[in-house]
Amino acid sequence: MGRLVYSLNVSLDGFFETSDKRLDYSRRTTPTSIRELPLDRLCITEYSVTKTPVDERMTMATQLPNLKALERQAFAKFYDDGLFDLLLGLMMIALSLGAVIQDWLDSESAAFAVMLAAAVALVISFKVLRVRLVRPRLGDFRPGPERRHRIAATRLALLGSFVLGVVAFGVVGVAGGLGISPAAVEVLLPLVWFVNAIVVLGIMAYLLDVPRFYFYGVLFGLVGPLLIWPDVLWDVRIPPPLAFGILAAPILAIGTWKLVRFLKIYPVHGAPEPETNLGD
Amino acid sequence: MATDDRGGAGQVGVDRLIHEPARLAIMTNLFVVESANATYLLQQTGLTWGNLGSHLVKLEAAGYLSTDKSFRGKQPQTTIALTPVGRAALLVYRRQLFAALDPISE
Repeated sequence: MGRLVYSLNVSLDGFFETSDKRLDYSRRTTPTSIRELPLDRLCITEYSVTKTPVDERMTMATQLPNLKALERQAFAKFYDDGLFDLLLGLMMIALSLGAVIQDWLDSESAAFAVMLAAAVALVISFKVLRVRLVRPRLGDFRPGPERRHRIAATRLALLGSFVLGVVAFGVVGVAGGLGISPAAVEVLLPLVWFVNAIVVLGIMAYLLDVPRFYFYGVLFGLVGPLLIWPDVLWDVRIPPPLAFGILAAPILAIGTWKLVRFLKIYPVHGAPEPETNLGD
Repeated sequence: MATDDRGGAGQVGVDRLIHEPARLAIMTNLFVVESANATYLLQQTGLTWGNLGSHLVKLEAAGYLSTDKSFRGKQPQTTIALTPVGRAALLVYRRQLFAALDPISE
């Protein structure tokens, strides 16, 4: 419920003038208001002290609000629903599915098609759930200019990561022609993957103020090395579903926990009364 | 701006319209975004619909915020934003409050 505020309630045998010249007979006031009253017009006839539970949100807003912290808190709330975590975790599972398809059908194009279809389905589901689950609970807002720049920078980082990935795979394809040995490719490619993941998710963590994305960057980045290096260096092949599964599990667990918690904490608000004229 | 001009030496006027806790919560939550819908304000402030509606009316009457009614598909949507006057008023209020509390030692 939050903190308790102690209110001093007084009955005043007198009047005081408000700034717009209305006379206001107050039967309930706070100590601050009492101090403002001219003493010769004030006669306290009775008093009592009541304690009132105060909504923490109201208290925070009235105590010399730190606007930067308030903005960060409001924006971060939209990543506390767990949906992005689940999207990321399930994307990793989709990648493992592609690896399985490739092994099973010995077809890179089939694997790519499956991964692409899964990724598109996940992104669409994510957007639908954002609208159906999150928006009725948290509402909607247009961020300020500085936050919008950060979001745009995040999108650029994701695009850059995608381009880098395409270039890296392109280089692998022509590695022989460039004089790069297959062994070197097998060592370098996971390293590129790792650095790419760390950098991109690190940038997202910084720009979007979501610290756990640093951790996700490490997990996502370990996929490449875990799949390729044990096989290349020690002849130990970790099945892709196991490798992806191990690394995706913490992300999915956190996402699920956050989603369940989010649905518990944030109810769907009923429709506003017609007279308030606040249809949303 | 509704200023409290009562009192003698040491009294610092504050904007009484913003000074009310619910309206202060509304103003500060709108200050940190460009615009928001009513559900966002409801969730951020913890007010009821009726309470929120009445405070928004007062703030809009003072020119501190604007409301825009539109449709998102078939769903009605109320978008609320602080006006430049409202943003300036909140910053002035914040300065007044700091000035009022400054003489109080830790």
